[in-house]
Amino acid sequence: MKAVRQYLDFFRSERQRLEAGSLPLLNAQREAAAAALERLQFPSQKVERYKYTDVEAAFAPNYGIELTPQKPADTTEKHSLEPEKHSPATVSPSHPEALSHYATLTDVNADAITALNTMLVQDVTVIYAAPGERKEHPVQITRTLQATAPLMQNRRLLIVAEAGAELTVILTDKAVAGQDFLTTQVTEVFVGEGAHVELYDIEDTQERCHRFHQVFAQVTAGGHLTHGVFTLAGGVSRNQTDIRLTGEGAAVQLLGCAVLGGTQHADNNTLIDHLAPGCTSRELYKYVVDQQATGAFAGRVLVREGAVQTDSVERNANLVCTSQARMWTQPMLEIYADDVKCSHGSTVGQLNDDALFYMRQRGISETEARTLLKQAFASEVLNEIPHEALRQRLHVLVEKRFRSCENCQLCK
Amino acid sequence: MLEIKNLHATVGDKEILKGIDLVIRPGEIHALMGTNGAGKSTLSNVLVGHPAYTVTEGSVTFHGKDLLALSPDERSHEGLFLSFQQPVEIPGVSMVNFMRAAVNAKRKYQGLDPMDAGAFLKLMREKRKIVELDNKLTSRSVNEGFSGGEKKRNEIFQMAMLEPSMCILDETDSGLDVDALRIVAEGFNKLRKPETSAIVITHYQRLLDYLKPDVVHVLIDGRIVKTGGPELAAEIEARGFDWIKKEELGQ
Ligand SMILES: Nc1ncnc2c1ncn2[C@@H]1O[C@H](COP(=O)(O)OP(=O)(O)O)[C@@H](O)[C@H]1O
Ligand SMILES: [Mg+2]
Repeated sequence: MKAVRQYLDFFRSERQRLEAGSLPLLNAQREAAAAALERLQFPSQKVERYKYTDVEAAFAPNYGIELTPQKPADTTEKHSLEPEKHSPATVSPSHPEALSHYATLTDVNADAITALNTMLVQDVTVIYAAPGERKEHPVQITRTLQATAPLMQNRRLLIVAEAGAELTVILTDKAVAGQDFLTTQVTEVFVGEGAHVELYDIEDTQERCHRFHQVFAQVTAGGHLTHGVFTLAGGVSRNQTDIRLTGEGAAVQLLGCAVLGGTQHADNNTLIDHLAPGCTSRELYKYVVDQQATGAFAGRVLVREGAVQTDSVERNANLVCTSQARMWTQPMLEIYADDVKCSHGSTVGQLNDDALFYMRQRGISETEARTLLKQAFASEVLNEIPHEALRQRLHVLVEKRFRSCENCQLCK
Repeated sequence: MLEIKNLHATVGDKEILKGIDLVIRPGEIHALMGTNGAGKSTLSNVLVGHPAYTVTEGSVTFHGKDLLALSPDERSHEGLFLSFQQPVEIPGVSMVNFMRAAVNAKRKYQGLDPMDAGAFLKLMREKRKIVELDNKLTSRSVNEGFSGGEKKRNEIFQMAMLEPSMCILDETDSGLDVDALRIVAEGFNKLRKPETSAIVITHYQRLLDYLKPDVVHVLIDGRIVKTGGPELAAEIEARGFDWIKKEELGQ
């Protein structure tokens, strides 16, 4: 049986219960989403944007679908940054002006995961900054998956920064060990004229988690968006990031760091769509792939007709630490405009043996030398994080991750 | 302190060292000269345990221990230091973190606690002065963007930090101008204790003028073919190696 069947059947049989506790706005989208999913089915690995991740396998098991509205996010997690300084997430429906943006950047007919999420989602977390509003402290949402049986969660976020607003959002996902989890998450981000948004998504879960995250963002004239995805621990992670630069002088910075070990799989699939003149995009993704882990990066930069004076740099660099680890990298650049400055490229390398030996001659153990080199490699992208406290925190978390990886028995 | 007996080593299936015998006592400075490709760097690398080389015969004892049985980091902890002919750049690893890891690894080996941050930085400052290494350089990544001379100076700085009992200087003088050579050589002399020994690999007399070797060896084609006093170095500088090849090898 195709994996998609159980989700459609669930929707048909539980629809009333699902809609009873949810917003009319969300309910209004479900039917079309279900029809789209029925038609699309889950993408096979022959579908270009899904060729690196087996969706069918991830969705085939029978997960319990959580049908009680999700609790407002737990923002007092011990790993949170500056715990007393967060402003709590604003949960629907307190910002009707923001809600009007719901499902306007997504297209259920274009993507099965988007369709599934739209069909089943129960709540939407809205983070809103009014025109000119500057939120001094980041909005932090830490979510811990916890269950006594396999569990699926479908989450939806809507982030709206009106003209001139400033907003930082830090999402951290965690999960208790020893259980199977499946999450879908669709985030829509609207960056108003001259607004500045930073959105960070940190995954620190476990090897039995499957996650399918999608970000659809639109940056208007003079707006700036930084989006960072950091995979510290997980099972199968697919992060899709689609950015539309729609106004003159819009800018986006995409950062990614994946630290992969065991049998982890991380697939970052990005699209930066330059639709207006004079926009800037910077993209840097770095992977450290150890043991039997697999990594994939596919980044497409599209410069449309009329998007003159586009300035784009895309780079993916990877460190593959063992002979069983695998990395696929596919930077893509398509230009349909004149007078642009674009570059793209990727590298796949191994730990430098000469550097390792140099350190060992100075008395540094092989384990420590490897850790230092991996950290050095990851540091380049962490150093780019504009948010200082998060930057420091991630340096610590990444170092911790490398150390636990080198010390655990699996990794020997 | 270092006793090399009939040492043979290969790289791939090619034999490079063809039976080296060498004894170095505490406080002695031995110069090692020889034609390019003779195996001088290979000998250094074999002594510090470089994985590219395989020892096929012979033994090395260092402070009474079987050196060849130790890992490269243990050899370092035991007091062996190599100033590399070509020091590597390690982008992203700061000199401070690198030196801290090295110093603390040695302390751990000696059963000591890690050094606290303040004491460590003070030590860095003191040692930096001895080789006149610029503060800017120690705040960078290891050797990254260093000139050839700065890299060599950095090697001696690291030696100062680790206080080895046996130093191998592999062409530490090459690429140094007259002033830099003096700073490095005088730095080395300031750092060495009466019991510190060294193998100094060089093509030139000028470094030896500072370091004053007790013994000079000539290595040709994987063998030490001639051993003499300091005057041998001067003679080689004047006459090259051909006469030695003729005399010793009948070539
Ligand atoms: N890692 C290596 N791989 C292959 N050949 C090597 C390697 N190291 C040294 N050799 C070879 O061994 C010989 C001796 O080299 P080396 O020890 O560097 O000489 P020297 O330092 O006396 O100039 C040369 O023929 C060199 O090409
Ligand atoms: Mg050499």
